[in-house]
Amino acid sequence: MDLQNQQRIKDAAEKYGAENVVVILGSSDAEGAEIYAETVANGDPTFAGPLAGAPLGLAVYHVFEQEIRDEIDPAVWEEQLGMMEMVLDGDALAEATKGIREEFSKWTI
Amino acid sequence: MGKLSGKKLLLLGERDGVAGPSMEECLKDSGAEIVFSVTECFV
Repeated sequence: MDLQNQQRIKDAAEKYGAENVVVILGSSDAEGAEIYAETVANGDPTFAGPLAGAPLGLAVYHVFEQEIRDEIDPAVWEEQLGMMEMVLDGDALAEATKGIREEFSKWTI
Repeated sequence: MGKLSGKKLLLLGERDGVAGPSMEECLKDSGAEIVFSVTECFV
């Protein structure tokens, strides 16, 4: 993950309280989603950025997970995400993110 | 609806996946505050 974005995530968790922050991913592949989810929940696995050794435990979801979909107006969903849902493997992205969340996140929605 | 109410959202979009602005549009009425939204790209 971009080092600048790692810093912004760390700052937001400190400012608002990690329990109040929810990270939502738009990753295109399951492996990338896992790395992003792990970074915000358990720290930077590459030990390169500000989140190295910083297991924030943030709640993290992929936008294609049902919990997030339930919070979005169906018409808006279709307009904004309908096309990408056909192109991407939403189930794999959801499963990958959920797996990391269940392992490392301290909070959920 | 309402699970995100009062939460602070960090949206990490991806150019080849779902971009930040698309997620913003979807979640702006969720009752949560969007703290920041980015779209990373890998080349």
